[in-house]
Amino acid sequence: MSVKVNKDFSYVGKSLDRNDSFLKTTGRAQYTADLKFPNMLYGKLIRSTVAHARIINIDTSEAEKLPGVKAIITAKDVPSMKWGLSPARFDENIFAIDKVLYVGDKIGAVCAVDEETVYKALKLIKVEYEELPAVLTWQEAAKEGAPQIFEEYPGNVNTEIHHKFGDPDAALKEAYYVRTDRLQGQRTYHAFIENHCSIGMWDGDKATLYSSCQSVHYLQYHLARVLGMKMGDLRVLKTHVGAGFGGKLDPTGLDFSALILSKMLGQPVKMFYDHEETFLNGHGRHAITMELTTGVDKNGKVLAHKFKAILDGGAYTGLGIASTYYAGSLLGVLYPIENYQFDAYRYVTNLPPCGAQRGHGQPQPRYAFEHHLDLIGEAIGVDPIDMRLVNARKNNTVTTAGYEVKSYHLGKANEMARDASGWKEKRGKLGLGRGIGVGNGGFVTGAGFCQYRTDLPHSVGMIKIYDDGTRAFVYSQAVDIGQGSDTVLLQMAAEAMGYPYEKCQMYAGDTDLTTLDFGAYASRQTLMAGWAVKRAGEDVKQKILEQAVEMFRESGRIKEGWAYIGNRELRPDDLDCKEGIVFVKQEPSLTLTFEEVARRYFVTKGVLIGRGWYHPGKLGGNHKGAAVGTSPAYSSATQIAEVKVDLETGQIECVDTWDVHDSGTIINPKLFHGQVHGAFSMGIGETIWEEVKFDDKGKLLNGNFSEYRLPTALDMPPVLSLTVEDSWEPNGPYGLKEVGEGATTPTMGCVANAIYDAIGVSMTELPITYEKVWRALKEKREKEQK
Amino acid sequence: MYLPDFEYYAPESIAETCQLLSQFGPRAKVIAGGSDIIVKMKKEVLAPEVLVSIKNLAELKKIEYVPGKGVVVGARVTHNDLYKSKLLAEKYASVSNAAGQMADNQVRNIGTLGGNISNAVPSADLPPIFIALNATVKLEGVNGERTMPLEDLFTGPGKTVLAQDEIITEVVIPDQKMTGSNYIKFGLRKSGALAVVGVAVAVEVENNVIKDARVALGAVAATPVRAKKTEEFLKGKTVTDELLAEAGVIASGECKPISDIRASAEYRTDLVRVFTKRALRKAIDEGHV
Ligand SMILES: Cc1cc2nc3c(=O)[nH]c(=O)nc-3n(C[C@H](O)[C@H](O)[C@H](O)COP(=O)(O)OP(=O)(O)OC[C@H]3O[C@@H](n4cnc5c(N)ncnc54)[C@H](O)[C@@H]3O)c2cc1C
Repeated sequence: MSVKVNKDFSYVGKSLDRNDSFLKTTGRAQYTADLKFPNMLYGKLIRSTVAHARIINIDTSEAEKLPGVKAIITAKDVPSMKWGLSPARFDENIFAIDKVLYVGDKIGAVCAVDEETVYKALKLIKVEYEELPAVLTWQEAAKEGAPQIFEEYPGNVNTEIHHKFGDPDAALKEAYYVRTDRLQGQRTYHAFIENHCSIGMWDGDKATLYSSCQSVHYLQYHLARVLGMKMGDLRVLKTHVGAGFGGKLDPTGLDFSALILSKMLGQPVKMFYDHEETFLNGHGRHAITMELTTGVDKNGKVLAHKFKAILDGGAYTGLGIASTYYAGSLLGVLYPIENYQFDAYRYVTNLPPCGAQRGHGQPQPRYAFEHHLDLIGEAIGVDPIDMRLVNARKNNTVTTAGYEVKSYHLGKANEMARDASGWKEKRGKLGLGRGIGVGNGGFVTGAGFCQYRTDLPHSVGMIKIYDDGTRAFVYSQAVDIGQGSDTVLLQMAAEAMGYPYEKCQMYAGDTDLTTLDFGAYASRQTLMAGWAVKRAGEDVKQKILEQAVEMFRESGRIKEGWAYIGNRELRPDDLDCKEGIVFVKQEPSLTLTFEEVARRYFVTKGVLIGRGWYHPGKLGGNHKGAAVGTSPAYSSATQIAEVKVDLETGQIECVDTWDVHDSGTIINPKLFHGQVHGAFSMGIGETIWEEVKFDDKGKLLNGNFSEYRLPTALDMPPVLSLTVEDSWEPNGPYGLKEVGEGATTPTMGCVANAIYDAIGVSMTELPITYEKVWRALKEKREKEQK
Repeated sequence: MYLPDFEYYAPESIAETCQLLSQFGPRAKVIAGGSDIIVKMKKEVLAPEVLVSIKNLAELKKIEYVPGKGVVVGARVTHNDLYKSKLLAEKYASVSNAAGQMADNQVRNIGTLGGNISNAVPSADLPPIFIALNATVKLEGVNGERTMPLEDLFTGPGKTVLAQDEIITEVVIPDQKMTGSNYIKFGLRKSGALAVVGVAVAVEVENNVIKDARVALGAVAATPVRAKKTEEFLKGKTVTDELLAEAGVIASGECKPISDIRASAEYRTDLVRVFTKRALRKAIDEGHV
């Protein structure tokens, strides 16, 4: 593993331990479910047992008689304002009013003195339904006369997108080779280990909510809006978060209920899910049905591409509109395509809602396009890597849709991955049953727009220096969901201040005590919160240097070095500060400690605070939907996988993998490699094993980790993780770009292509299970025998 | 998922255990490692009012060789005990290897042989290899003990001949002429996956001729089943690749799998063919592995 480390930096580029590693590995980190408050009550949601029905009656009388039950609430007890994450489509209520839309839909909540009573009470609640015909696939939803789930979505079409750049049809006519492929993705689930949990409590008219979430700000915004509160009257905070992967962005029924019940009862209320309920909460990856038509020239250069995507959305919109845009908006970033048409539909169905999952709407379309590209290359006799090299976007360019791409080294990533993996010796030469495949990907480094309309900055940072200068407290609403954002933010803050990293402490993810940040999504925090804390650090440093000038002058010590500076007053920019030592740049032996300067500042001026601010400004793209895809910076990556397939059983083993990432400056190589490993694990899982399944009544079949199979440590191949070392992103603090989501996007494509290389059958449906491979090989043999 | 209330007993002797089971009748269940029964209670599939733990019955923890009898394995032996047993590694590594492929390390540390057998789940990993090795099982109850071939214990999915007051105390692998044995588990990932198909074989081979063979299949019928036609077919034949391939085909005709969330019946049937062939090859070439 190699990463360039700039020797001038004290902390940036260093593999420092995560700031929470000791707490987590010793089991002392407290997650929301671990928290207890005096007189705390417990609660769970009442959930629908049918896929589509009118609620006729909810009989809670038996449950209310159970000793220990404190309250049972349903739609009639809570505000009826609709909410959602896509402003034009607020379609969800706290609890179902009149109709339930999927097995698991929220009907109400039960609150009792302990967990046991909650479970007992739930069993005593009788909901009477008038069942309605349900639609469980988009194909059923799209049929003439299909049952309508929402009045506002005729034909069950939740959204449609039609983008056209250039003249694809004309370009296809001119192309040397044209090909159409159809591919199918599957519904997957984030599979974070910590289930959702929320604790609400009140003090007068001030509410506090602990929630295992990815964005305290958005949660505060949505909850305050629906509950009719001022944002300042609601404090949202989190403790340690056991991952999110996109599944903890939407407010849950737990968040609303915890606040409503704790207000009603005057006691703190903890609301929680078990794993199956977290599956039912959903918001995982959409299954996308994809059709791709591409025309290329003789060398494989893409001249025109038409992409049709149909998303099975599940019951509500959530983040689904953004998912739908993301299905098509980033292809043109990887590969410049002048003539591009994207038509997408998202249908609502009677299943748990889908939303964002690592890579958002992009990973399945990446799989489809990367596989399609291999099939085209094969038809025209061009090696897969050459297909990618001929198409890869170049540094400092603008996409057809108008997105400005600064640093971009996808070509280099392909070459490095090719060389590291021994591609030339392996491709097509490994024999039947073994194969190697390549896939490209990348992602935005933060979204260009807030989720709702606002002029707020995207991130604000603050650093407070302790009175005597012995500690620096860094504040941000950034949410560390396990990716390590607290650690890299501290590294950047320490670097910017010139103050020891070990003495920096993070306060994050608390809407009262910390400063605005939109949270962990769209791979934004390292860049956006990074700018904010870096600038806050620079502000601290400036104040320290100004104070130091005064102190040098007062002390008279400066006279010795005077000659070097010239015949003028000492100025702050004559000084610098590194690792806690303030020094005169031209005479570095003249020093003061940060601590003594900071203390003097406190004594003479009050608390020393640094402030930073970040807004991405106006970014590229003017078409409808440009907001989803425009970003200050784009990462790119090439992955290669080598697989072994048992030709008799279809069993697939991923034996080796390589990832070359163009992520600009790497702030913390160890955390960076961790992201790449984790992304491979998720991507390989989604390629081979993972799929959320339902029966023909819409009931979840595999809401557990025994039948929803994630790869285990034994299933993981070695991962060689490399970076494009000379990549520097001008729009990122210290030249950085994202790695979190981008790393998942090439995986399905590269593994699928490796399987294709191994068995010679194109697998067009995810997950590529052992049984599907077995069947494909059997059919191939039968065909050959004929 | 909330564990309901129950009464708990941890008797000190087998007799006392059977006595309690008899006294409480169908209200009581045995608990060994609890890796299965606790899950079922949380899911409300089972709701015993009384759990009788056998954790204090030290005599059920042994793995020992008794001359004239064979290898005696106590019911409370865990999967990792089997996996790490020196005696088994020497005599029947096929058994320890089967145990080593089960579940995951945590479950292997608590799950027991007795629980795995009594559960009578068609996909259980241990019955096939014990059946292939012609093992017997000893049941003890208030009215004494009885011993029977392990394969006769099972009567259907989740069903055995065990009476309410009976527990399994030991399993015995008799001394035998079989020169090799092997179990292949096919799960849908490398760890923490239940068997989609499990094939166990034991063979007696002399001068490249199969004198005797036993084939036991898991996860492809209501109980673990012997592939008796396959066994008959193999007897007296000279080992060739073609012979083993044909044995696989015959075995695949002897199973009656179902389609479920993990695999189709058609797939399972073909997997039996493949793994019968492969397990035979291993047992013939490498002995008890
Ligand atoms: C995550 C996970 C993975 C698993 N993977 C596998 C796997 O790969 N392969 C596999 O085969 N199984 C697997 N299992 C199932 C289970 O772990 C095994 O069947 C295990 O052997 C059960 O043993 P136990 O001691 O835990 O049984 P318990 O749960 O204690 O008991 C199971 C049943 O057997 C009865 N019982 C137990 N001991 C006796 C006895 N001596 N006499 C009479 N009745 C008795 C109990 O009353 C109960 O009905 C898995 C389970 C889990 C939770």
